[in-house]
Amino acid sequence: MSKCPYHDPFAEKRTKGPILETEFDGDPVAMILGLKDVRKAARDWKTFSSDAPFRVPIPREENLRSVRQFPIESDPPEHTEYRKIVEPAFNRPNEPEYQARMTGLIQEMISETTSCQSVEAVSEFALPLQSRALTYLLGVPESEAQTWIKWGVHVLRDGDGPTKGKEMEHYCKEAFKRSSRWEENNFFSLLNEATFRGRLLTDDEKLGFANLAFAGGRDTVINTVCLILAHFAHHPDDLERLRKEPELVNCAGEEFVRFATPLTHIGRKCPADTEVHGAKVKADQLISLCWASANFDDTVFDKPTEIRLDRKPNPHVAFGNGAHTCLGAPHARLIIRTLLTQLTELVSSITFLSGQPKIEKTVDYERVNSFESLQLRLNLK
Amino acid sequence: MFVRNKSTLNERIENMAKVTFVTESGEEIMENDGTGNLMEIARQNDVDGIIGACGGVCSCATCHVRVKPEWMERVGRPGEDEQDLLELEGRADERSRLSCQIEMTDELDGLVVEVAPL
Ligand code: HEM
Ligand code: FES
Repeated sequence: MSKCPYHDPFAEKRTKGPILETEFDGDPVAMILGLKDVRKAARDWKTFSSDAPFRVPIPREENLRSVRQFPIESDPPEHTEYRKIVEPAFNRPNEPEYQARMTGLIQEMISETTSCQSVEAVSEFALPLQSRALTYLLGVPESEAQTWIKWGVHVLRDGDGPTKGKEMEHYCKEAFKRSSRWEENNFFSLLNEATFRGRLLTDDEKLGFANLAFAGGRDTVINTVCLILAHFAHHPDDLERLRKEPELVNCAGEEFVRFATPLTHIGRKCPADTEVHGAKVKADQLISLCWASANFDDTVFDKPTEIRLDRKPNPHVAFGNGAHTCLGAPHARLIIRTLLTQLTELVSSITFLSGQPKIEKTVDYERVNSFESLQLRLNLK
Repeated sequence: MFVRNKSTLNERIENMAKVTFVTESGEEIMENDGTGNLMEIARQNDVDGIIGACGGVCSCATCHVRVKPEWMERVGRPGEDEQDLLELEGRADERSRLSCQIEMTDELDGLVVEVAPL
């Protein structure tokens, strides 16, 4: 295995043109590759619409869930109103008490790990960390994470996808009933009480919000966390540097997210026949915003395949851009920054034992997206 | 127009540099108890439209403001990193600055900036 498991599968394709005309699910998809073009298209929701149930994620998800996800699969002006409903919940990571809890959690998890000979970082560290942290965001008892951990890394796509998707939906339906027993303003009770244009949300709308909160914030966080751990194992100098220059934590966090870009791309539907940088897209067909290509665009990023803890500016689009910019970003950023700080405080070095890269195979490219499994040892300071 | 002034009567604070944020809805928020950069001051005071998602490291541009013309000279031009990010914003103009890159100083007492739409 190469020391750096990452590569940019779109580098050569970008030199050939701004679009990769490929296919998913047997349908044509024009992937937009350059950073500036991706940013522009992400803001042009009239031409590139998110009003496309099950089709914003690529491949499409009809078989994996029963409801349209909110707010992601909607356009303004509805999107703006749907998004407002859950914004207060997603902004909780800005509260000092929330941040303190996250520090406590990550300290505890690192300490437990360092007492072990080795840890499988995907399932024994990143997944439980992601699930336990999510209980804070959703305002539910931490014990709920035990159930979520059992769903595995992807929920929707891991192995026997449909069954787990159903299990998760069943869990959510029950959670809406149980939520009155949990802390005030938890995510589920917030949705129970929320109104949209003067009416309560429908059961499907509520489920669509919950579905996305579980599915969207899962492998994204897990992949980024694993990438960080593996990077420090291979580059102990960077861990040392962060220890000496803690003021770099925010900068480094952005750089790890850019480099990981755990959500490779996302779909948009063209309501009308459109020409996208020379590619003809028929009405109702998809284009994709390829965050992973944009974040390695060397017309914007100097030596994009290098991780530079002090990269500035860092106009990456790993969290998207425009109206749908990731709602979970404050939470994800807090996890990442807290992890970086606590690693520098508690860990002297990380030993890489073995790793199996996770590869996204498609008709026209293969992309390494973090790890399927990652065996490490965290050495206590 | 609603003016919110969070200052206390404490004289030390009274003497600190003031900055006014004009938000998209036209609300004017005057702050004179802030230190640090303008993004941090805005966040501490829940100024609408200033998010500061990346924590001030020139990555997110969610701290975009437009400096009132009469203040532009004193505030100064964006640095190179900042300019690069602003150019990607699409909606930036010659009055645009990223508020995380503006340190509040006594010289800027009375500063007025408009919060740019996200
Ligand atoms: C490193 C971690 C993460 C990355 C890289 C990421 C990436 C993204 C991206 C690229 C989008 C834009 C989608 C679009 O334009 O259609 C997005 C949207 C979204 N993400 Fe994340 N995400 C992360 C973590 C999370 C977490 C932890 C949650 C929640 C628990 C979450 C919830 C959402 C939601 C609700 C949206 C939809 C926002 C909207 O449509 O207005 N994400 N995410
Ligand atoms: S806070 Fe992100 S660029 Fe200013």
